[in-house]
Amino acid sequence: MDTEKLIARLAADVRPVPRHSVARWIALGLGLGAVGSIAIVLIAFGMRQDWSVALVSYHFWVKWLYTLSLGLGAILLTARLARPDPGRLRHLWLLGVPVMVLATIGIVEMSRTAPGDWLAMWLGGSWRDCPRNVLLLSMPMFVGLLWAYRHFAPTSLRAAGAAAGLASGAFGAAVYCIHCPEVSAIFVLTWYTLGIALASALGALIGPRLMRW
Amino acid sequence: MRASEQQLRLWMIGGLEGDANAHAALLRALVPLLQSFYRRRMSGRPDDIEDLVQETLMAVHVRRATYDRDRPFTGWLFAVARYKMIDHFRRSRIHCTVEDVADILVTEGFEDAVSARMDVDRLLADLPPKQADAIRGTHVEGNSIADHARRMGIGESDVKISVHRGLKALAARIKGPN
Repeated sequence: MDTEKLIARLAADVRPVPRHSVARWIALGLGLGAVGSIAIVLIAFGMRQDWSVALVSYHFWVKWLYTLSLGLGAILLTARLARPDPGRLRHLWLLGVPVMVLATIGIVEMSRTAPGDWLAMWLGGSWRDCPRNVLLLSMPMFVGLLWAYRHFAPTSLRAAGAAAGLASGAFGAAVYCIHCPEVSAIFVLTWYTLGIALASALGALIGPRLMRW
Repeated sequence: MRASEQQLRLWMIGGLEGDANAHAALLRALVPLLQSFYRRRMSGRPDDIEDLVQETLMAVHVRRATYDRDRPFTGWLFAVARYKMIDHFRRSRIHCTVEDVADILVTEGFEDAVSARMDVDRLLADLPPKQADAIRGTHVEGNSIADHARRMGIGESDVKISVHRGLKALAARIKGPN
């Protein structure tokens, strides 16, 4: 086709674009996905029974702070990688901060526990199910982010896929806290993080296929 | 006369706010810019270049929401153009030759020194150090084969072989799946 005709056709369709539209699409995709994740956790797993205890114990808040801070960092990264020129990712190391803080809490907890109980503390009652459930709960949000990415122009598809997987994994883990009654920091550090890492690896694997434009 | 970054950015922002005339002016101004961008990177094949220019214009139109009004426009534009070029190589695998990679490496160095340097470094990081040094010394920094050989204390034919093998490995990577 003639380039001049193409330009005329494109210029006939110039709708205004609101500022921060990248952030809006991400918020919409993530929000709709979160509704799906919460519905799954309530229907398939059920809420934990001990809310009155949980809400006043620091264990519960440590889990939420860990997963939500990781998710927040990852979603900012996801928004950066949505642009063709993400620039240098200078603050990437900040994603390690929640992990280090949780590891420190884990060491303190272990130092206050008899070594004979460490294994029980680490495996809890649900280590077999936890990573899989986190991965499952991350999926609606991952799909939501992939949908948002249909509008974007990422140029590092693998990194963008990994970031979207990491964000949905971390928020999926936050949703899983509604059900999961585990308390120890090293449990969360191992099994939650494993589920989050699986979601991120899945994103890195399929990002290049599904985010092309 | 080429439009300046400042002018392009104003047209882009006008288009984002719904001004069809500004948007048309932008797309028209991009045509010569993109033509020379692709011509410098791909030898021959005028049809391919015209296709790529049109594809990039469409991408600029469809993906314009990803432009951040506070950042330079040409950085965004060339990132889109570069992605479209790599995508083009990926789709038409047979067309990417050793010479194409050499062209890309050399011209990227002029276009956008900082980000191109990062791309090149990322690509070279996967090569054996000797090949990476040889490519960096000759194609990126622009020294002659003889100069580079003297500096590294190795033979000229050794440098030539390293450059050739390195570029071949890079060509294979760009052509390969993903």
